[in-house]
Amino acid sequence: MKTDDLIAVLAADTLPQATVAQRMMRSLPLAIGVSLMLFVLFWGLRPDLTAALTSPVAGKTLVPSGLVIVAGALAFALSHPGQRWQRRFWLTGLFIALLVAGFALALARDGLTGLAAALGTPALLTCLASIPALALPLLAAVLWALSAGAALQPRLTGAAGGLMAGGLAAAIYSLYCDQDAALFSLPAYSAAILMVALAGGLAGPRLLKW
Amino acid sequence: MRAANRGDAAAYRRLLQAITPALRAVVRGRGNNMTHETCEDILQDVLLAIHTRRHTWHEDAPLRPWLYAIARHKVVDAFRARGRRVELSIDEFAGALAVECGPDPMQGRDMEKVLDALEPRAAEIVRAFGLYGETTAETARRLDMSEGAVRVALHRALKSIAQLRERMIE
Repeated sequence: MKTDDLIAVLAADTLPQATVAQRMMRSLPLAIGVSLMLFVLFWGLRPDLTAALTSPVAGKTLVPSGLVIVAGALAFALSHPGQRWQRRFWLTGLFIALLVAGFALALARDGLTGLAAALGTPALLTCLASIPALALPLLAAVLWALSAGAALQPRLTGAAGGLMAGGLAAAIYSLYCDQDAALFSLPAYSAAILMVALAGGLAGPRLLKW
Repeated sequence: MRAANRGDAAAYRRLLQAITPALRAVVRGRGNNMTHETCEDILQDVLLAIHTRRHTWHEDAPLRPWLYAIARHKVVDAFRARGRRVELSIDEFAGALAVECGPDPMQGRDMEKVLDALEPRAAEIVRAFGLYGETTAETARRLDMSEGAVRVALHRALKSIAQLRERMIE
C-alpha cells in the first residue's frame, strides 16, 4: 500500500478514542469496588476504627493515599509524550525519601530491638500477602488505563502505576490492620507496596507497548 | 491536529500529508542501507502510531515535541525489530539493486501482508478508503452496511492493523 493511501485510510477514521483519563474513570472505580468487596469478605474493618482514624494512626491510611496521588500524577505524565514528568518523578522520590527518613527516626528512637519486636508478629506475613492481593485488581485497572497512553518508558510507567495501585491497596488494608507501631507499618507497608510497584515495572514493557 | 481530534477528516489528512515528507527523510536518513520499501514500511508504522495515539496529545500543548517523541520511539522500535529479522544482511547484497528497480518509492510492503491476515470484510473497508478512494457513504452502500457500522469497522480494523504489524514484524 502506498503511504498516501494509508493517510487516506487514517483520515477516514474519525471516531474518538478513549483517553487514559477516560479509561481510568471507567476501570478504577470498578476495581476499587472489587477490592473493597474482597476486603469486606476476607478482612473486615478493625473494631476500633473510629478511634484509630481520629488519632495519629490515621497516617497509616493517609500516607499511602498521598502516594496514590503523587505516583498517579507521575504515571499520567509518563503516558503522554511531551509532558514534563521529571518534576513529578522527583516529587515521588521526595515522598519516598520522607518515608525513609521517618523510618530512620523511629529506628533511632527504639533501636534494633524495637524493630525486631515490632516486626516479630504473624501480622507481618498477613500484611505482606494482603496488600499485593488487594492490589491485584487495582493494578490491572491502572495498567489497562495506562495502556491507552503512549509510554516512552514502559518500565518506569508500569512501576509508577504499581506504586499507585499498591498505595491504594495499603490504604484499604490499613482499615483492617491493628499494628499501629511506626516500626511495623513503615517497613511492612513499604515492602508490600514495593512488591506491587515491581510487578507493575515487570509488566510494563509487555502491557504498555504500542 | 486540534481540528482532527474533533473529527475533521480533511484537516487531519492535510496534517498527515504535511508531516510525512519530514518523517520520510528522518527514516531514510537512519536506514541508509535499507530499501525504500522497508523505509516506507517504517514510515507507515510511524503514521499508524501517530494515529492510534493521537489522543495522548493535549490540545494546549505544542504539537511538535509530541510528534517527535512519538516518531522517535516508533522509528527506534521499528529499526530494532527489523534488525532482528536479518533484513540488513539481505539488503547488503541486494540493496543497491533493489533501490533502483524497486516498484514505487512511496510503496510499502508490510501493509499487504497485514491486510491478508485481517478479517476479509475489515480488509475490504481499509482498501475501500485507501486504494479505491471511496467515501464512507459509498463504502456503506457497496457493502450493504450502515455508515456508522463502516466507521466502527474501520476504527477497529486500524487498531488490529497496528497490533498485527507489531506482531508480524517480531
